[in-house]
Amino acid sequence: MQIRLLAFLCCLVLAICYQATARTAAPTWGNAGRQTHVFSTVLLQTPAPQGIGGSLLAFFSRLGDSSWSVGLHESRYAYDLIESVHVWTLCLFFGLAVMFDLRLLGWTMRSVPVSEVARRLLPWTVVGFVVMVISGTLLFTAIPLRSYQNIFFRTKMIMLLLAGLNVWIFHSGVYRRVTTWDVASVPPRAARVAGALSLVLWVCIVLSGRMIAYNWFDCDRQPQRPIINFMTSCVPNQSEEH
Amino acid sequence: MSLLGFFQWCEQSGIGDTIRRSSWLFPVIEAIHLLGLGVIGGAVLTVDLRLLGLGLRRQPAAQLARDAQPWLVGSLLLMLITGSLLFLSEAIKCYYHEAFWFKMASLFLALVFTFTIQRKVIMAGETRVRPVWSKVVALVSILLWSGVGIGGRWIGFS
Repeated sequence: MQIRLLAFLCCLVLAICYQATARTAAPTWGNAGRQTHVFSTVLLQTPAPQGIGGSLLAFFSRLGDSSWSVGLHESRYAYDLIESVHVWTLCLFFGLAVMFDLRLLGWTMRSVPVSEVARRLLPWTVVGFVVMVISGTLLFTAIPLRSYQNIFFRTKMIMLLLAGLNVWIFHSGVYRRVTTWDVASVPPRAARVAGALSLVLWVCIVLSGRMIAYNWFDCDRQPQRPIINFMTSCVPNQSEEH
Repeated sequence: MSLLGFFQWCEQSGIGDTIRRSSWLFPVIEAIHLLGLGVIGGAVLTVDLRLLGLGLRRQPAAQLARDAQPWLVGSLLLMLITGSLLFLSEAIKCYYHEAFWFKMASLFLALVFTFTIQRKVIMAGETRVRPVWSKVVALVSILLWSGVGIGGRWIGFS
């Protein structure tokens, strides 16, 4: 049942995007529709970009010039709709993940066995996560280079990896012995630590995700401190610095 | 004072002005607002999925609703505080934005529905309510709260 639902949700997201981009793709082929990013031109002249992750700049610059990216970027409604899907699914994924973490901490549903909460609610977080990744990827595709050089986006990606690592450690560690502490209203220390870590990481991921739209450290906003330009692999234009 | 006059008064308030003049206050308050939304989503969905028969099954809905209640009410308070601050900083924009009125209508209906009809159905217990009504109540709840979240997101789109 979950698999069919998952497939349906994926198809829905893709269909919405296809519809939304198809209408506007044609008139945006010209140069007017191109992402005007100062550093995509600078990049072509700079053989070795500085900073962390500079080698991928050319790839994301090309992705920004693709018809998919331009279509998503220029469409009247595609970006807004996908972002709405992203926010709605945040409630499903983040909300239920938080409820599970709170159970691990013994702060809610204390009389419900942990394995029961995991079995009945975690599949929904998997569905939510898949939709989050699909919609998030589309949002990234709409503005690839700028997002890639966004310090909040990079922070979010690193914390996503850490959150994934935490899930893996929890499920391959203390959760294997869940039968011994299933009905405990307050689970053992290792489970509480996993719950607390997960809670903190997901909260930070949501916060930094929201901050991507308000980037104070954008490449186009020079001068920035050298450390910021290093961490965002920005190559400030010489003429702009003065 | 007319409604527009009230909105203008909000816009000119000291708090609204402080938030508008800061480059980081609005984004930070908005991010906290979003966290509150996520927690409300979790608390609401735990109960609604139970009513739909798609979430937890062995526990009575009444017990889950009691467990989720502090998180629902807590995050709701957080939302109302941060939401009011955001509103003070852009009251005039809200006055002329359909999404704001859509959101306020959804919020009003969601609150009334959750704390009257839905609560009654849940507390009555499974034996006294036909399963189909529990499901209808859960779907209406999800729809109304979705209206609040999506309406809120669209205030940001011009």
